[in-house]
Formats: sequence, structure tokens, C-alpha cells
Amino acid sequence: MSNKSGEGQEGARVEHCPGCGSVDVRNNVYFCKGQPVKVYVQCSSCGEFVARYTLRAYTSNKTYESLLERMRFSKLTSGKRTLRIVEGFGDDIAKEYDHVLELVRTGEDQRRIEEIIAEDYSEDL
Amino acid sequence: MKFEILTPRNTRRIVVFALALLAGYLVSRFRPEGLTEAGRLTLGIFTTAAILWVVEPFPLYVTSFIVVILEVVLLGRTGGPLGLSGSGYTLFLHPFFDSVIVLVLGGYVLATAIKRYGLDERLSRGILRRAGTRPKVVLLAMMGTAAFLSMWISNTAATALMIAVAIPIVTSMAADDPFRIAMMLGIPFASNIGGMATPIGTPPNAIAVGILANMGQEMSFIEWMYRGVPAAVALLVVCWLVLCRLFPPKVQHISIEFKEQGKIGRKPLFVLGVFAVVVFFWLTTGWHGIPSSIVALFPVVVFFGLRLLKDEDLQDLGWGILFTIGGGMSLGAAMRASGLSAWMVEQIPLGGMPTVVVLLTFSVGAAIMTSFIANSATANLLLPIVVGVAAVSPKTSAVVVALSASAAMVLPISTAPNAIAYGSGQFTVRDMARAGSLVTGVAVVVITILIYAIF
Repeated sequence: MSNKSGEGQEGARVEHCPGCGSVDVRNNVYFCKGQPVKVYVQCSSCGEFVARYTLRAYTSNKTYESLLERMRFSKLTSGKRTLRIVEGFGDDIAKEYDHVLELVRTGEDQRRIEEIIAEDYSEDL
Repeated sequence: MKFEILTPRNTRRIVVFALALLAGYLVSRFRPEGLTEAGRLTLGIFTTAAILWVVEPFPLYVTSFIVVILEVVLLGRTGGPLGLSGSGYTLFLHPFFDSVIVLVLGGYVLATAIKRYGLDERLSRGILRRAGTRPKVVLLAMMGTAAFLSMWISNTAATALMIAVAIPIVTSMAADDPFRIAMMLGIPFASNIGGMATPIGTPPNAIAVGILANMGQEMSFIEWMYRGVPAAVALLVVCWLVLCRLFPPKVQHISIEFKEQGKIGRKPLFVLGVFAVVVFFWLTTGWHGIPSSIVALFPVVVFFGLRLLKDEDLQDLGWGILFTIGGGMSLGAAMRASGLSAWMVEQIPLGGMPTVVVLLTFSVGAAIMTSFIANSATANLLLPIVVGVAAVSPKTSAVVVALSASAAMVLPISTAPNAIAYGSGQFTVRDMARAGSLVTGVAVVVITILIYAIF
């Protein structure tokens, strides 16, 4: 089943290898000082190149430490707003993670990722 | 997640906004003696802005834009109560590219380059490496580094970096060692204090410099530091003593593991060189006559021109804070033009009070306000009023209020650094209130006396 995407809709899908269709992938993280970090995704089954992601933000399972890294470039001055971000950060990610797993389980979007980006998020680019 | 406009949170925002407008309207309907129509309307705008900056239904910069819209619609339109015509309304827009905004912009570019090339981390680890293993000395080194960094980069960024450095040290200490709390509280407190030292250290300082400049009372970079640095150093020592006293270490030595730092590369070295040149020119404005705001454009041209910083860095530059500062100065301009500042000052019962008591009152007021609302909002609301008090020179009042707006250490919501440190879960609100109220109490007295003595 596919979630019809459009304004006001949401969706999720699992990355598949274009070569063998496997969902087992390996993330090769590339970094070079002064450039954004890039992740080259490789198929664990056949070794094929799957995709490249350019990272804008990264959060590990140690959410507070990830938040600190992100805050290194922050210029927030409001204590109230910062506290909301700090307190909600880990919980929001955990909730969204569960939600995404549920979406994938119940109705994975069948479109290719570049189609989803082009159709739904091109306005944000 | 579904995209909706009328979510419960947005509904609350709209309700608060409507109530703030209503309150502003009702206040503007009062007809107090001595206040013109323009003054009454500005009082309404001031009331609306105060509610929005205090309750924060929107980010602070959104309120700044609301202020400008209200100013132009109610005061600045052709045939309005200020008698402006044509492009006269730009009086309220000019503060958004005031010289102090340019100065802060340049400071942000410098700070971004410092962080992008890891100079802040290199400095913090370098200092810590030389601090030894005695807990109190390590704490002092960490606080000193946080304070120094926050003179040049945002207090939030300095805190985030130093807490990341401190966490491995703190978690290596025994769970019942109270000194863990001292370490985690020392960093945000020191960042708040360090921000006092330079005009670009924290938004209230920039707002004070901007409002003074608009009154014809220019304050150079070095002039600010002449007052800010002694205050910051004194408070840092006081804060360190308080923390060591309240949360004494149980051990004589703590273990610190250091990541190997390679040799500094050419690009970071170049960034360091540009930083040194810019600071030198900021400190020597009196000799060469180039305004510090124009000096601040040098790193913008060099770093973006030579692609040491990317276009994404420009987007992430903290425009929200610049607009918040601009909004405060725009409100100040309206308050002066409409005569509201002068009228408000007349209402403050200061008759016959010694100068130092007046300053202490300002300082306590700013510190209390900042304990609950953002320091830039405190500065935006208080500074246009206090600089008009005839009993004290505008520079003295402005510096006291700006520094006191950074002195709130009592609650996690008092400042962004406090909130970040609280997120570590290493201390309770009670711990912060206990140490923070002492430091804040001492701070208002030290700031008042020191600035009074220096001026």
C-alpha cells in the first residue's frame, strides 16, 4: 500500500538497492574540512552504490550530545525557547522514530526518493 | 506529521497575539497628563511588544517585525500623529541596518569561522591540558575558557562546546561528588558573565551601544571593554568561589583524558590571523578612526570572498538575533520620537535618590526581568527608558542595565546557557537556584559599584 503524498500528507519508505533490491545497506561517511559531511550508501549484499546523502544535521542515540554539537552553531538567546528545545529534543526524536517505523510497517510509499523530494519538498530547496 | 495551520499550539499563539493587541489598544486609550497622541499610541505598541516578548508566543524576531508594522501603521504613515510624510516612516526601518547590527553581523561571521575551523575546541582543550588535575583549578580553567570564548562567540555556542568537553570529566567523578554540580553550573554561569565583556558578546550589549549611538553618545569597542572586562573578571572569581564553597570536591585529583590534537592547519591559522587583525582594529579605533562596524565587514569579505565560509553559513548566521536587536532599537526610536521615553522617565519616582541607588534599582530590575524573559527582550524594553533618566549619564545607565541583563543565573529559563546545562540532567533546579541566586545577588551589587566607580 502506498500513502498518497501531497500537501498535508506524510509518508515513509525504506531505501532499496537499485541493483538487487536488498534493504541491507552500509553507510560510508565522508568528511572533508570545510565541506558538509556526505554519506555514501552501499548495498551490503551486492556492493552497488545506492545513494548519497548530504548531511545538514545529525543525531545519534546519545541525543543530548548530538544537541550540544548542533548548539555549537546556535545563537539562541531565549532561555524559554532553548529549554523547550533541550527538553523536547530526545523525546521528539524517539516519538518520530516510532512513528516512522509504524508508517513503514503499515503503508510504505512506493515512489523513488528523488520523486518524493521533487514533488513534495522542492518548495523548501 | 500532518501540516496544519490551526494546531492547538498555533491557536494559543493567535490568542496570545490577539490579547496583546487588545491590551495595547486599551492602554493607548488612556489619556495620562503630558502624553501626546503619538506617545499614547507608542505606549500601546510598547505594551503589545512587552507582552509578546515576555510570553514568547512567537520567536523574538517576529515580535520585532510586528513592532515595525505597528509603528509604521499607527505613527509613521503620511498624516499620522508624528507628522511624517513620504519615506519618513523609514525612521523605524533604519535600526535594522544600524552600525551596531553590522558590528554584530561581523562578529557572527568571525565566530562562525572560529567554530567551523575548530579553533574554539582547540583552545578549550589546550587550556584544559595545562590546568592539571586539581578539581578547583580545572573548574577555574573551564570557566575562564567559557568566559573568554563567549566574549567573541555566542554564549549558547560557548556553553555547548564547554559542556561537551566537561561531560567526560564529570561522568568520571563519583556519582555523589557535589563537585559534579559545580562543573556543570560553572560553564553556563561563566558564559553569561563572559558575554558582558565585549559589545558583541551578547545582544543586550549591542542594543545598549546602538541606542546610545542613536542618542549621539558613541561608545567604542575599547570603551565598552574598559567597563565590561573588569566586571566580568570580578564576577567570574565570585562565581567560582561560590561554586567551590557550595559544592566542594570530594577528591584531590580528577582524571582527564585528552584527544590528540594534530598540528594546526593553514586555513585555521589564517582564520586566527584574521581574528587577530580584526580585534586589533576594533581595539584601536581611536588611532585609525575606522568605525568598528566597518572593521567588522572585513571578515565578511575575506571569509566569504575566499570561500572559507559557504553560502549555507550565511543563511545560518543568526539573523533572528540581528532582527531582534533591530526591533528593540526601532521601538527605542519610536519612544524617543513620540516623547514616550521622556514621559516614562518623569513617572519614575527617583527624586533625590543618590545616583548609586538609582543604578542599583536599574540593575536589580534588569536582573529580575532577565530571570524570566530573554535578555535581549529585557534590554529592548528597559534601555530606551533608563537612558533618558537625567540623574545618571546615559552611558552609565545603559551599561549597568545591559550587564545586569546577563547576570540572571537563577533558573534554567533565565538564559539559553542555563537551559542547555540543565538539559545534562546533572543538577536540579534547586541546585541552580541556590548557587544562581547568590551569584546574581552579588552581580547586581558588583556591576553597580564597579560601573559607578569607573564612570
